[in-house]
Amino acid sequence: MSRTLALSVVVPVRDSGSSLDGVLTAIRASEIPADAYEIIVVDDVSSDESVTVAARHADTVVRLRGRALGPAYARNRGAELARGDVVAFVEGDVLVRPDTLPRMLALLGERPDIDAVSASRDERPGAPNFVSHYWNLLVCFGEARHGGGRAHFAAGCGAVRRSALFEAGLYDEWRFSTGCVESLELGQRLVGAGRGVVLSSDLKVTHLRHWTLRSMCNEVWHRSMLLARSLGYQRMSSAAPSDVVFTLSRALTPALAIVAILTLTAAFLPRPYVVGKIGIAIAAIFLTNLPVHRFYARARGFGFALASAPLHVCVQAVSAVALCAGWILRDAFGDLLPDAATQAYSEVGLETWPPVRRRR
Amino acid sequence: MASTHGRRFFLRGIAMYRAVLDDTPGQSSRPTMESTRQVATDFTNPEAQRVGDANAADRPTGPRRTPRKSLIVVIPDNHVVSPEVVAESLPKTDDHELVDVIVACAGQPANLTAITRRVREVQVLLAPAGTSGEDLRELAIRRAPGDIVTLLSGAVVPTPTREFEMLRSV
Repeated sequence: MSRTLALSVVVPVRDSGSSLDGVLTAIRASEIPADAYEIIVVDDVSSDESVTVAARHADTVVRLRGRALGPAYARNRGAELARGDVVAFVEGDVLVRPDTLPRMLALLGERPDIDAVSASRDERPGAPNFVSHYWNLLVCFGEARHGGGRAHFAAGCGAVRRSALFEAGLYDEWRFSTGCVESLELGQRLVGAGRGVVLSSDLKVTHLRHWTLRSMCNEVWHRSMLLARSLGYQRMSSAAPSDVVFTLSRALTPALAIVAILTLTAAFLPRPYVVGKIGIAIAAIFLTNLPVHRFYARARGFGFALASAPLHVCVQAVSAVALCAGWILRDAFGDLLPDAATQAYSEVGLETWPPVRRRR
Repeated sequence: MASTHGRRFFLRGIAMYRAVLDDTPGQSSRPTMESTRQVATDFTNPEAQRVGDANAADRPTGPRRTPRKSLIVVIPDNHVVSPEVVAESLPKTDDHELVDVIVACAGQPANLTAITRRVREVQVLLAPAGTSGEDLRELAIRRAPGDIVTLLSGAVVPTPTREFEMLRSV
């Protein structure tokens, strides 16, 4: 059992039964000899049939019990069991192509200066609805425009040398109990430790998740708030500018400045011209978002770009409010910490299974 | 300094309190041998027949100190697993007896006796001939009590070539 392999693929899942079969089948279809890699599925207390689906394809299935502690925790449990020299993390709703994992391995083999590589997002989402298309393209836009040569370690599909991962201290399961920005944070730490991190634009994976307006706003809210509260906006903006929060907030800043100028000038003008000013404000927001809308128009056509414009403004507003909330919470209460019982168990060093969330 | 000590003392207090509530998480919850020797029937698949005495899935699964491990050996039709491979997959230390070994096979594999002789307390799930490897895995994991379940697939039995058959007939 102690034999080392070329690759360990860790798949953290939680209620992913509907997509997991396809995801694991796609991994098994990778152009890698079957005895050169292993699949480790870590089930984060699913209430569906994820475990039995996982057993159909995986070499190891880890069943976490109790309460769900998030993908960072699940990935760490998988990485601890991994026997591969390279550990790849693939989400339970991400389809890899047959050449994705072999090319990642080849890149890490050819380039000793690179320690972590992740795949970009395919412009075609797995779900057919409008919001999924919008979200997928939004992430694609950030990756295409700002993804090169930075600390962006994508959560969907990324491979990292095992030695580099353990030297960096694995994922930060102590602070991040929800799946949002923990991969970005790991990428930043890897770069900080002098490791090479690459987001490849040639390697593509398909995300199958079905997004609704509510789930998307929820994601944007959590990402923005965690970024402002735990990671630091400025620091992450320079380290991983391709993240979706920066795509949203970058264009918002000049738009807000224009709206603020309009509001100020209202005091000095004899007539308010409310409709005109609202029109100018909307035009300002649209103009600052023009690169995004042009990207959408190129990818899906002018109609899609036009239809997505109000949705984009709505998501930007959510992100802006969440960033402000994150800053306020950071100043008022400090960084995120687990609950008192978890801190207590960790302080005492209680040995139990599943293990208590570990401090880095 | 004093506040750090105070906080640590407070956290220790919470941990002890929670530990009592959780029914002493440090203690092992492995059942007695008497309870494991009860013969059980697999109701999930009426066609499957279980041989062996360990009803592992019915053991209590409370908090424990170390993860419980299961090893599932999957042997579909025309596949075989060497007993040595199974033994190698088990930990070499004293934890040997803590691993629940389940052999899930379709039909009657040739070397099942050798495996059961090599690995003690093995639980065998016999499914009808023709059951696929994936179905065997699914069947077995429903019975596996482990927190960490390793699945080991059998290798295809090499089919005799035409030349080999001709030589044998001569």
